Amino acid sequence: MAADGVGPDVPAPPDALDRPRIGVDEWVAQVEGRRERYTGLRGAVERWWERIPIVARVLVLAAPAAAFPYLTSEGNVFRYGLFTLVYALLAVGLNIVVGFAGLLDLGYVAFFGFGAYFYAILASPQFGNHWQAEAAIPVVVVATALTGLVVGLSSRRLLGDYLAIVTLFFGQAFVVFVNNANRINFPFAGHVDLTGGSNGLPNIDPFNFFGYKLESTRQQYYLLLISIALVLVLLYWVHDSRTGRAWRALREDPLAAEAMSIPVNRLKLLAFVFGAATAGFTGAIYGTIATAALPGDYDVGLLITIYAIMILGGFGSIMGIVVGAVVVSSVPELLRSSANARPLFYGAILLALLVKVRPWPRLVAVLGGLVAFGFAVHAIASAAYPRLVHGHAIGSGVFAHAMNHWMLLPSHHEKIADVAYVFLIAAVVVVPQLGRLWRTVLIPPLLYLVMFVWENLLLEQIGGATRLILLGALLVALMNARPQGLFGNAYVEIA
Amino acid sequence: MKKSIFALLVAALAFAAIVAAGTSGASTKSEASASTALVKCGKTRTIGFMGPITGPAANIGVEQSSWAKYFVSKYNKTHKKSKIKLQTEDTQLGNPTGTAEALKGAQALAGNANVLALVGPAGSNEIVGVTKTLKDAGLGWVSGSSTRTTLTTDGTRTGYMFRTVPPDAIQGTTAASYMIKTLKVKRVYIIDDQETYSTGLADTVQSRLKAAGVSVTRDGVSQQQSDFSALIAKIPRDTQLVYIPWQLTPKGVAFGQQMKQAGKGSIRLMGADGLFDDTFAAVGSNVYDTNFPVNPKSAIIKAFKKSHGGKGMYFGAPTYAATQVVAAAYDKACKNGTATRAEVRTALKNTKIPAKSSVIGVALRFNRNGDLSTAHQFGIYKSNGSVFNPVG
Amino acid sequence: MNWSLFFDLTVSGLTLGSLYALIALGYSMVYGILKLLNFAHGDVYMVGAFLGWFALHGLGGPLNPDFAGAAVLFLMFIAAMLGCGVLGVAIERFAYRPLRNAPRIAPLISALGVSIFLQNSALLIFGASFRDYDTFDLIGVKTYNVGTNLFFSVPQLLTVLSAIGLMAALTVFVARSRLGKAMRSTSFDREAASMMGIDVDRVISATFFIGSALAGAAGVMFGLVFGQIYHFMGFIAGLKGFTAAVLGGIGSIPGAMIGGLIVGLAESYATGYLPQGSTFQNLYVFALLILVILIRPSGLFGRAVIQKA
Repeated sequence: MAADGVGPDVPAPPDALDRPRIGVDEWVAQVEGRRERYTGLRGAVERWWERIPIVARVLVLAAPAAAFPYLTSEGNVFRYGLFTLVYALLAVGLNIVVGFAGLLDLGYVAFFGFGAYFYAILASPQFGNHWQAEAAIPVVVVATALTGLVVGLSSRRLLGDYLAIVTLFFGQAFVVFVNNANRINFPFAGHVDLTGGSNGLPNIDPFNFFGYKLESTRQQYYLLLISIALVLVLLYWVHDSRTGRAWRALREDPLAAEAMSIPVNRLKLLAFVFGAATAGFTGAIYGTIATAALPGDYDVGLLITIYAIMILGGFGSIMGIVVGAVVVSSVPELLRSSANARPLFYGAILLALLVKVRPWPRLVAVLGGLVAFGFAVHAIASAAYPRLVHGHAIGSGVFAHAMNHWMLLPSHHEKIADVAYVFLIAAVVVVPQLGRLWRTVLIPPLLYLVMFVWENLLLEQIGGATRLILLGALLVALMNARPQGLFGNAYVEIA
Repeated sequence: MKKSIFALLVAALAFAAIVAAGTSGASTKSEASASTALVKCGKTRTIGFMGPITGPAANIGVEQSSWAKYFVSKYNKTHKKSKIKLQTEDTQLGNPTGTAEALKGAQALAGNANVLALVGPAGSNEIVGVTKTLKDAGLGWVSGSSTRTTLTTDGTRTGYMFRTVPPDAIQGTTAASYMIKTLKVKRVYIIDDQETYSTGLADTVQSRLKAAGVSVTRDGVSQQQSDFSALIAKIPRDTQLVYIPWQLTPKGVAFGQQMKQAGKGSIRLMGADGLFDDTFAAVGSNVYDTNFPVNPKSAIIKAFKKSHGGKGMYFGAPTYAATQVVAAAYDKACKNGTATRAEVRTALKNTKIPAKSSVIGVALRFNRNGDLSTAHQFGIYKSNGSVFNPVG
Repeated sequence: MNWSLFFDLTVSGLTLGSLYALIALGYSMVYGILKLLNFAHGDVYMVGAFLGWFALHGLGGPLNPDFAGAAVLFLMFIAAMLGCGVLGVAIERFAYRPLRNAPRIAPLISALGVSIFLQNSALLIFGASFRDYDTFDLIGVKTYNVGTNLFFSVPQLLTVLSAIGLMAALTVFVARSRLGKAMRSTSFDREAASMMGIDVDRVISATFFIGSALAGAAGVMFGLVFGQIYHFMGFIAGLKGFTAAVLGGIGSIPGAMIGGLIVGLAESYATGYLPQGSTFQNLYVFALLILVILIRPSGLFGRAVIQKA
């Protein structure tokens, strides 16, 4: 391992290379990173990856994606494929604003909605326009870009946190406007029903490209795939260009960038415009897929989803975003059924244990202790309080069967599960503060409590609250472990 | 740390493999033939159900789902040879990601060849969103709660969509007529909750009242709001009636309480069927409501109340009727042992269930558009301080 | 000029404004010291409302309380404030302390994660339905007539008075006590304060405790006045509280108080006087914020931020 930094006589950096280090900027970190040579398979893969040109890289990523519709049913393509690609496109666009230029934009989905609505105005029975896609989409993109320009103009005087609030306001304003715009009286045109109010704009024409209609799910999937491939290539190109470098300088330190005569304000506006244009493009395509533009679709929840993708994938890292989109889109779907949810959850816990609990004798002790603890508690409960084990585990299969014999499953579990949940939160906060020996001893009961809460409370609500709880917990844990996201580049704010 | 990244990558890859493997399944039917694909009516038949089981509107969906399940349990008790099961798709109505979940649910039902028709969806916007998917798959649907008038009258869903609730136009008209003719009010304040159900009703009532020369002021609140004090302050004390066609009962209750707190408790309140609940009636004796004519003394409702803890959840009763309609259509189509989705749709169109076995008090027959041809009037109810009693 | 309407709107605006001021205080204090936007603060407020509800029902419920009305109220407040204070400290420990030296966006994301977690935990435990405080009978919906046609109710009066009381107590605390002095100096310059022997970690925990306790009190007050709580109420309230903090100058305690009152009054007047006011009330509040930021970027009482010290 090249532990000696930039040269043989320079002492090793005091901290792990993946953590942000004070006084080290991105460029230096990248240089050091490049000098690192990983051995073995990972190194070989990395070296090969860096050698192939951008277009080929995108094609390599796109190949399995292109094969996806042939592997599964149409419903699954819709559920997993289409939405993943839409979210990925949105995240890529947001990445320009947040990841490249460092501007915290919390109103991003409003541009997405704007694109969908504008396309609906141009291509639905609402106003009788039926523009074809090749005419409508450029118009939509330009219009959304102009909107982005307007929003960006407000960012001139604002720093990070204030900008977040102002953009959030625009996002909310858009939703309220779109919800109520069916009652506007324009001075010359009279009463115009611009957005259908809370009913939205239905019956958007399908994607009609020079007469070639794309209506089936598979065709839409490929349309999205091609779009995202194009956008990715464009983005890689921008990333390496002067503008991209200027954006990254702006992100790292706006004052220094300005001192280096980088036109900061113009770049901020450019970032907003690019991001908005991507969102508008995605919105137009999404309009044809969803066949309706409805106000509720473009609100804060979607914003959180897109941000989660970007956070997971790492700011500024394009491949990370694709991975993040796959994870954030498919995991909640997979979690819908308990048959999938259980292995996922327990697998994640196991993985966390594998990583955190070292050395391996300790790990074996913890796991063994957990199993033993479970049986002990189950035995005691069956003997003394039989009501505590009378319930049934949800679902069927090997896991559920095992749970019936190992886990406490009270027959009326609502109240006790709620109390256990609160207790669990308290325990999770307190236990890591204790000493090492205490932690080793307390982890098996803690894990048992986690599984208890999972089986009795979380698994029931797997379709709703649980997904988001896990997302929230994941965000906190991820930021603690790796603040730059899975694929992001470690960087430091020189504050 | 790097090793853990590697481990995470491996996990992600394994994951993707699981996804690919687990979701590989044949779906070779083309869309056009989904409508006419023959399915054997075996011992178990699957009816689709779409509703918001989780999410902000979960109380609606859970209630509808329990009514639907109640019907299924009753049906299965009397039909030993052909049982029904429900395939429930959670649409998460009101969810931050909007109608995406409904789309996914519709696709899932469309992809299951055993599903020949479905109950739901609950929300009018959801129906707009999933129409194309369901039509392409040849599935007909019977909704127990979506009341937007244009859904059946704009012609795009004829033969596919049916509903066991009268549309907003009827409810709004009934409410407005009662206000004009019986209560003879001259100054009305209308507040909607920004959702499409509410704005539709509010628009209908507003236009009727205006046409009759009543002075109307209109405003809106958001479904998330609990503090109505400023709005209540704005309502003039000489207002005679405040019309709140809201979806969420607790909000109506809070509004009524806050009106009382502000000293405006003597102003009449009228809600819509979304607020038809004993807790809203308990707000005071000057509270009115409109509801489809569910007969609270009906045996079915009494039995449901008993088996569900005594709460009168009338909102879900039309879903019971909807499930009943779909089950009857299945029976008709399955008479010769096999059925197609097109056959079930035809059977739905020709539904004839007499009033005495229908929970909503009128016979279940559909007109050309898919609306109930037997329900022309909503019931008006007035609170006596604790429950609603029919008047007018 | 319709004085009755004006009075009603002012009363309701002051009530709401007191709530926003209490929430804004938490935001301001935390931002002053850590330069961190605590997105989870609104959800702490929501937890406070639920804790108050629990206390109420643990003590027998609104119709059959174990003690006199005033005692029950007092206990509700104590329960909510203590509970939220502890929650705030835990959040800081768990979600923010490890990220003190990370890039600015990491604690923001962490805060977002905590917010999502809290909202959905409440959803999980309490379900999607709204919980009623039903305290109207407990403390009486007594309305007091001032002159003719000027109404205000006991809960509103209670809210405004207790908010004023809490804010006064906070001001005295910050100005006079040692911990208050430590808080002030830490918010001015964290490094220098630690060099002067102030235990910065303790000060930060204390700040979170106080800010969250105030939010918890605000939650209980909301339940008392408006009667209904649900798991998503923290989002908009938090947003408006943040607006108030920014309006008053983030980092400044008197600014948060004044900002909160301004936001509450603005919302009330907008609802009352502008057409379709209630539909667009959030927009009017935000428009006010934009206006203030564009004219005076550091808020009414805030210090102009020096970017490079």
